[in-house]
Amino acid sequence: MLTVSGLAKRHAKADRPLFSDLGFSVANGEIVALVGESGVGKSTLLNCIAGLETADRGSIHIGPRALDIVRLDEATRAALRARSIGFVFQAFHVLPTLTVAQNIAVPLLLCDVPVGEHGPRIRALLARVGLTGFGDRWPASLSGGELQRVAIARALVHQPLLILADEPTGNLDPRTADEVLALLLERVREQQASALIVTHSRHVARSCDRTLTLTPEGLR
Amino acid sequence: MTTLACWLIRAQFRSRRAATLLSMLAIALGVALGYAIHLINDAALADFSRAMRAVQGDPDALIAGRDSSGGVPLASINEIASDPAVLVVAPVIETRVRVGSTPLRLIGIDVFSAAAVMPGLLPRSAAGGAGGDILAGAVYASPALLDKLSLPIGATLTLMRGDQQWSTRIAGDLPATDQNDLLLVADIAWVQEHFGPTDAVSEGRIRLAPGIDAATWRATTAQLLPDGLLLRAPEDDSARAANFSRAYRVNLNVLALVALLTGAFLVFATQLTAVAQRSTQFALLGVLGLSPSLRLLQILCEALAIGAPGALFGVSLGYMLALAFTQLVGGDLGGGYFSSSTPAIVPRIAPALAFFALGCAASLAGAIYPAFLNRSQPLAQALQAGFAQIVEAGGVRRRGWLPPVLLALTAFVLSRLPPWYELPLAAYAAIALLLVVGITSAPLLTRNLFAWCAGRRLPAAQQIALQNVAQAPLMAQVAASGLIVSFALTASMVIMVSSFRTAVDHWLDQVLPAPLYLRSKATPLPQSLLDALMQADAPFARVERTAHTSLTLDPQHPAVALIVREIERGNPAARLPITGPLLAPPADRTPVVWISEPLREIYRIEAGQWLRLPLLGRTVEGFIGGVWRDYSRQFGALVISSDDYRQLGGDFHPTDLALWPLPGRDAAAWLAPYVASHGLELADAGDIRRSSLSIFDKSFAVTYALEAAAMLIGLFGLAVTLAAGVRLRARELAMLGALGFSRRMLSHAVMLEGALIAVVGLAIGLACGIAIGAILTHVVNPQAFHWRMPLQIPWAAVVCSALSTLGAAVVASHYAARRATRLPLARILASA
Repeated sequence: MLTVSGLAKRHAKADRPLFSDLGFSVANGEIVALVGESGVGKSTLLNCIAGLETADRGSIHIGPRALDIVRLDEATRAALRARSIGFVFQAFHVLPTLTVAQNIAVPLLLCDVPVGEHGPRIRALLARVGLTGFGDRWPASLSGGELQRVAIARALVHQPLLILADEPTGNLDPRTADEVLALLLERVREQQASALIVTHSRHVARSCDRTLTLTPEGLR
Repeated sequence: MTTLACWLIRAQFRSRRAATLLSMLAIALGVALGYAIHLINDAALADFSRAMRAVQGDPDALIAGRDSSGGVPLASINEIASDPAVLVVAPVIETRVRVGSTPLRLIGIDVFSAAAVMPGLLPRSAAGGAGGDILAGAVYASPALLDKLSLPIGATLTLMRGDQQWSTRIAGDLPATDQNDLLLVADIAWVQEHFGPTDAVSEGRIRLAPGIDAATWRATTAQLLPDGLLLRAPEDDSARAANFSRAYRVNLNVLALVALLTGAFLVFATQLTAVAQRSTQFALLGVLGLSPSLRLLQILCEALAIGAPGALFGVSLGYMLALAFTQLVGGDLGGGYFSSSTPAIVPRIAPALAFFALGCAASLAGAIYPAFLNRSQPLAQALQAGFAQIVEAGGVRRRGWLPPVLLALTAFVLSRLPPWYELPLAAYAAIALLLVVGITSAPLLTRNLFAWCAGRRLPAAQQIALQNVAQAPLMAQVAASGLIVSFALTASMVIMVSSFRTAVDHWLDQVLPAPLYLRSKATPLPQSLLDALMQADAPFARVERTAHTSLTLDPQHPAVALIVREIERGNPAARLPITGPLLAPPADRTPVVWISEPLREIYRIEAGQWLRLPLLGRTVEGFIGGVWRDYSRQFGALVISSDDYRQLGGDFHPTDLALWPLPGRDAAAWLAPYVASHGLELADAGDIRRSSLSIFDKSFAVTYALEAAAMLIGLFGLAVTLAAGVRLRARELAMLGALGFSRRMLSHAVMLEGALIAVVGLAIGLACGIAIGAILTHVVNPQAFHWRMPLQIPWAAVVCSALSTLGAAVVASHYAARRATRLPLARILASA
């Protein structure tokens, strides 16, 4: 589960608060949409939760051990991300120099999962995301929808506690977006993970269990 | 984690084959050159020591005269032999004779004492004793000499020295002597009888009684010896051989390091552009949980994956180079220290590992900055915007002029320091610092110069090129760094070599005043010739005689040349290239010597001081009347007039003649019979000049090859970095294409960027090159080789070289420009 409390962050360039005193939680198996206007700080909030940016104040706890990611050093934050968080991005961000199977294996390598277990887990997951037989393909030969499926498989392969998705369907046509979204939600629920999805799409927000709206005044 | 590292390394090699291979080759070249120099020198030194042991044996001490023309009186040998601490003294007389035109060493030994001290010189008689007996005046030849003369054992030999000739028979061979040694061994009494002197020997080789500490005995006994004698340890000779070639070896190793340094720069350029290109990928890995230290380690691992195979290849290549070099040229590296030997190359594991480690270290050093850059990437920004942010951050940090100025000042101070351990180490450090100054100045110059230019009204393509170079100084620095280093080193070597060549040319004018020169090969000239030259019908207007010998001023240093010349005491400058003040001696009859510049540098003595000379078996105080320039005897030489030498009691036996033929007379024809019958060398001044300059040019040929390699690597580095820049800026270029830039305009912009960066690189490289050239000329040459010369900058050659490099840089930029014109603009825009 994810618990955010009293979180504050000032704008990096303009000397004004971006958000302050934010607090919310996401339960295990719960999928929450985070919506709001451009520039309000949705991506920054996501970055703070992932430990990619540091909050000025407040605490963020991920998982049963309740580690506060704000107080951790960079190496420990990286280790926490590797074990507990899965990411899905709008721009897919699949490594072009690794095959599909190698891309999906990256989180397993970072979590020190024995290499012998990689093959069965990756093959099973590829089947679940509809990419059976794609393991040896190079990313350059895949469509946008296929790339995002690879990204979803990579986000779930190490069974993280929390999935963070930033506009996961933003680069896809409506039909592919629907398919990818359904797949993401289904797999997240199946793994009983918590998920926070940043989106501008009302359709995506409606598909989630709950919606949080970030405004300059705070969360609604 | 190792698996991920291997995947990323493989992916990197797949996507950047050319840059990776070139970096590997540059590392390999540096390692190969360094290792080959080490192997050849190691083999030559081992060969030298082995050859010396074969002749010298394994004594505990050696006693000899300090003056090569003197010797050890038999009384001294007998006195030492009577010391209870001494087991045996083996006396040796060594002289030079000729067989036909082949000069060789004749060593007289006492076979009974030699058996105890120098078994390597013991002769082996032919089966049945057909050749005679050593005690009956027969000689024994080394296998190398028998080979050279194509003579069998039992053949008759005619030994010549000056006008004298002796016939003898070869009774056997010397099986334990070195394969390159041309020597004859005879009974010491026979040699004394024919070659004299009868009351002295050249050397005594001493075996001490068991239990006597050799070092203590040597130290105690040395204090009791007369002034003209020197007691030394046998290992001194090997150490001296190693010492006197040390500066030359270090210089060659520095050249090899230059190649390695260029390799390190190439790794730097490759890894920095690789980090820039993959900044989004590394940011993603960071987001997925790859820790900062592992991101740093990944870049270092990639550098090691370049450096390790490169270094391994370099070690193998170095071994092959050493084998080929010794087979083709011998064990001498061009310095003239180990002539005529073909040593066996024996690779040993420790040095091979050390050179392998050096190659890996160079590669890792090149990757340190890119690795730290990769570690400190702000992940969220890099994931969105790639490398551009980091470029700016890097540029901001490098805005100040203070670091380069401080580094330049430090380099200046280092260049003023004296040598360390008789090597110009501080000067080499100053050169390295100057290169760093050049590289750190590049972004400052590009930012300030091109930002100003970009403010002018210019066509769009030029404006874009100027803005890009001004706004991305770090990439400009990477692209220019290879050119700065390679052009600085090339320009400095051109300046140093040109200064040296001009100085040698001028020096040859001064030291070769006569049209014709005649010399014997280390034996005195025949008296019949000297007498004939005095006759009225001799076809010469003027003849000047010179005798060459040597003396030991300090046992730790090689012997210095003693040149006895017919020279006017009052006007030595007429024959010697005097470089400082000429001082008259305090009294008319005081012997005056004029010392060479190397002698002054090595022994730290000056004109006007007194020099204690071990001459003619005693110590003579000579007044130093002046210092003269000498480029041919690196370990020092001193000239004394033949009048002074005779006055001191010396016999003047000329070995060289300077001849001024009378107009219309055929001097060569007149000399021909003497040349043919005595194996003399006759050369006119023009031939000597041509051959000297040809030797000079050959000895620097390897540096030209290295410079060409460095320039090629620098140009390739520029092309690779520009091409990587095009890939990095694909979106920007695609956007410009969408806005109306034609492919031709994009190509022109990229080529102009290359030219602008090359101009900055060449300008900084030239400035650094002149400074480094001045250090090489005024500091490294005097400190390492004791050669002084004025600085001569060959502007025409340097400017031509800069312009041709600029042309080559534009051609290299064309490679990147072609990439710009082939970008799939629509696809890039669609993916943005």
